[in-house]
Amino acid sequence: MTDAERAVLELSDVDRSYGKVSVLEGVSLTLRAGSVTALIGPNGSGKTTLIRTLAGLDDPTEGTVDYCGPESVRQIGYLPQQPAFRPGQSVSDTLAFYATLAGESESEALARLERVGLADAADRDVDALSGGMTRLVGIAQATIGSPPVVVLDEPASGLDPAMCVHIFDVVEQLAANGTAVFLSSHDLALVERTADRVVLLDAGDIIHDGTPDALCDERGTSSLLEAFEESIAAEAGTVQVQGEAT
Amino acid sequence: MTAETPPDSGTLLRTIVFREVDTAILQPSYAVFLTVLTAVVLGVAWSGGGIQAGYVPTVVDLLTPLELLIPLVAIALGYRAIRNDERRGELDVLQTYPVAAWHLVVGVYIGRAIGVVLAVVVPLALVMLPVAAYGSPPPLIYATHSGADSPWLYLRFLVLTVLFALVLLAIAVAVSTLVTTTRTAIAAGTLTLVILLFGLDIGIAYGFAGGYFGETSLIHSLALSPLSAYRGLVFETAIAVASGTGPQTASPMSSVVGLSLWGLGSLFVATRTLQR
Repeated sequence: MTDAERAVLELSDVDRSYGKVSVLEGVSLTLRAGSVTALIGPNGSGKTTLIRTLAGLDDPTEGTVDYCGPESVRQIGYLPQQPAFRPGQSVSDTLAFYATLAGESESEALARLERVGLADAADRDVDALSGGMTRLVGIAQATIGSPPVVVLDEPASGLDPAMCVHIFDVVEQLAANGTAVFLSSHDLALVERTADRVVLLDAGDIIHDGTPDALCDERGTSSLLEAFEESIAAEAGTVQVQGEAT
Repeated sequence: MTAETPPDSGTLLRTIVFREVDTAILQPSYAVFLTVLTAVVLGVAWSGGGIQAGYVPTVVDLLTPLELLIPLVAIALGYRAIRNDERRGELDVLQTYPVAAWHLVVGVYIGRAIGVVLAVVVPLALVMLPVAAYGSPPPLIYATHSGADSPWLYLRFLVLTVLFALVLLAIAVAVSTLVTTTRTAIAAGTLTLVILLFGLDIGIAYGFAGGYFGETSLIHSLALSPLSAYRGLVFETAIAVASGTGPQTASPMSSVVGLSLWGLGSLFVATRTLQR
């Protein structure tokens, strides 16, 4: 196994419940450096819960989440599903704030902004950004401190196709630089194009963990979208609410 | 390029304080707030007639209005301080940085405290100008002994008011960590205001009437309420010394301890809440 493929984060038999409602059951997962792992699944399948557990924001009810990557001031970078920042500050001030918390300089923060293609918006107020720009600032924030693991919760949600492609390009660059990227997305075409691995979550269980091609082969389909439709338990157009009778 | 060691606590606190000052204090809305507050305090002081009489009469005129205004100021600046970061998801993001809960609580508190201190000091300091100009008779003795009006007594009042405001800000920050929605933040802020302004004082009055507090312990039990503790401190250290001897209205030591416990206890509660 090369350095680029070493494990950096391991989830072992993770359960996560809210009261009597079990959202994740026995989830095991290993994230490796230099790869993009995409989490797909229907609404209500537990994706955000898994992401929050993986990012260390929620403790698992059972099981363990172990960081086993290199020493780092910041082990895991995180982009929330709806990123938002303190109003009244510019983009550069906002990123400089986070950079200082991770021991980086303002110029390093601006370099991260440049890497996501948003250098021209450095002086703009964060509350004057479009949704796509806010997400790009969020991704720049998630990479501050060069965390070996970056977790992105639906980074392309609600964006136009060109912006979605740009965000997935940024994700590819991150992985190419050795970062383990874990993201959730409903844009299965871009996932198929970008992800090294696809984790399919349904009703709190991982029902597939492998390459997009392997999932298509397993289901006998020609695209990830078809494989997804073949795989999920819920009927099309319905949301399976966990903990409720179906 | 990447830092190998996390920043020390001083750097983390300074960074959080600067952000609070930048986003909550150095804003046009705060300037308007400060201007309106200053106008209200000057208006109250002028209309009360204390300005023409001297510093201590001005303290007497301002005390009751400030008992209402200061909780409003502290809660306005503090009740959404942490709640809004939580709503935006920034608390989740901050958890992925080497920032402890206490860094955040203390940093936010100090940053907002700068705004609260300015909101108290600016209006009350400006009130001193007309007192110095129009006060009659002009104060000749700059000392704090009994029977003499003095700007030093007024400054004691100002310092005690700052202390009171800082304690209430700590309570507001604690409330901000306990609430889960903006609607509950507003409701909790209002409820806190009512409890601080009326509830605790009424509780002490009932306690005294019901025999839970004896006559000798009453002056100490007043320290249970931040408002009574503040009022007692002002009476004992800024008004009574000028108006001569009389029955003791409060225990300054108990009041200081009471206010300190309210302030530090609130910051502790806020930190523990964020750690959960």
